[in-house]
Amino acid sequence: MTLLEVNDLTVKFYTQDGVVTAVDNLSYQIESGEKFGVVGESGAGKSVTALSLMRLIDSPGQIESGEILFKGEDLLEMSEEEVRNIRGNEIAMIFQDAQTALNPVYTVGEQIAEAIRHHLGHDEAEARERTIQLLDRVGIPEAETRFSDYPHEFSGGMQQRAVIAMALSCDPDLLLCDEPTTALDVTIEAQILEELEELADDFDTAIQLITHDLGVVAEVCDRVMVMYGGKPVEKAPVEELYYDPKHPYTVGLMSSIPRVGDDRDRLQTIPGTMPDLVELPPGCSFHPRCPYAEESCTRKEPPLLDPETGEEAAGTANEHAAACLEYSGELQGGLDYSVEINDSQGEPTAVNPEGDRND
Amino acid sequence: MRRIYESGALHRDDEHFTPNKRDRSYRPQALRSLNSTRLSRSLLPNRFGYRAISISVSTPREEFASDTAIPFQVTMKNTLPVPVTVPTNSPVLWTWDVDGTTNASRVPLHDPPEESGAFVFDRGERKQFTKGWQQLFRVSESEWEPAEPGEYTIGAEVNVDNADKKGLRGTTTVRIVPETATDADGR
Repeated sequence: MTLLEVNDLTVKFYTQDGVVTAVDNLSYQIESGEKFGVVGESGAGKSVTALSLMRLIDSPGQIESGEILFKGEDLLEMSEEEVRNIRGNEIAMIFQDAQTALNPVYTVGEQIAEAIRHHLGHDEAEARERTIQLLDRVGIPEAETRFSDYPHEFSGGMQQRAVIAMALSCDPDLLLCDEPTTALDVTIEAQILEELEELADDFDTAIQLITHDLGVVAEVCDRVMVMYGGKPVEKAPVEELYYDPKHPYTVGLMSSIPRVGDDRDRLQTIPGTMPDLVELPPGCSFHPRCPYAEESCTRKEPPLLDPETGEEAAGTANEHAAACLEYSGELQGGLDYSVEINDSQGEPTAVNPEGDRND
Repeated sequence: MRRIYESGALHRDDEHFTPNKRDRSYRPQALRSLNSTRLSRSLLPNRFGYRAISISVSTPREEFASDTAIPFQVTMKNTLPVPVTVPTNSPVLWTWDVDGTTNASRVPLHDPPEESGAFVFDRGERKQFTKGWQQLFRVSESEWEPAEPGEYTIGAEVNVDNADKKGLRGTTTVRIVPETATDADGR
């Protein structure tokens, strides 16, 4: 069953530098219990997309058009009170920086218990009991004593766990994780991802995982959407994306993952930076950084296409779609990269763009 | 030997501290007692505000080879020593255009909400925005067409009615010449 359906979502910020189109005509859906990854560099519009789902876009931002159907109801048409009943209850969010997300003057336990009392109607003792269970569930040692600790008394990893406990407190149907492990070291990251997966399976929660770490996506997600400049450039089931990436940006992202034992002198990166969202380059937004770009890429912006047929993507859940003129037959030179699969690890660990025709 | 607590160097704060109690006798000097932006907005008539703002557009040179980006700088200055607020037609505070084509696009790019905006300039403030025109006109949602060689006027204006008459528009002229007529640097 489709839990969340986002159709043609456009979010703009009106600033004095110009209009920032943070999310441009974005459509996707998430099924119940599914783990959906959103990948892209900083400034790709990943976090704004998640905040829009919670109706948390603040001035000067505006959700300009589109619809966000959650269980068939449009979140954008709801009153503030209706949204407040859904926020934290049916849709919960794990924010990027746990230290900022927690209120420093309330105890961690109280902050979690508040949501339980508000949404589930439990009394003080019941809420406390459930909070302690949750803290214990996310791996906080001595949860009962830690209930009355303040956020500064928790370590970074524990704060993140507390935020996860808070997000899971009301058994949400959809969990938006905005780079939940960015601030953590890799061992804690692995633990937290494992916990998230486990908890999502136990509670049958759908997860929208926002990250710029492709390794995390490969580990956790079922389907992935790659975003660039506020637009989706590739959507695919996770295995297809890794074994058979169709968009040069995805290829660039994958080839820039450092690997142990790699004998290249320099780490391969995507040249340049994300364009200014006030003034996106004409044509395909990625063309200034794309090694395969041709003149047609500067004149025409490709929609999401089915790489096999070259027809516009239908928007179905499991399709593989990429926004590149290669698939509409308008690219003369083609995309000449290859995917190497390192069999010893059984995973596609290398994507090497072979020819750089910009040389 | 004299102990540090006998020296008077330590000030002991033995009184009970109550965070919501404030010493009214002391006021930080930096604290402004007036919101001068709001005050000038209500006191300064719009026509004076319009007159106070100057706007100009500049490019590094006048001639550009075709297919090269044309960078331009929009400079707005408040000549008054008080803040000026210019009420705008929408939250889009200002726009740029090429020969009157806003954002060099023949299709509307933005559909701003129907509410007014306010372009706030601090006292004597100079705002500078760097933009670029790729010598392309957007002709549909997903297509662009190159501009022919010739003379083009790049303009920028504050989003008010009759910006030109109110002095809230600046322009500059650039010439696009075929690539063969220029040297390798595009000069």
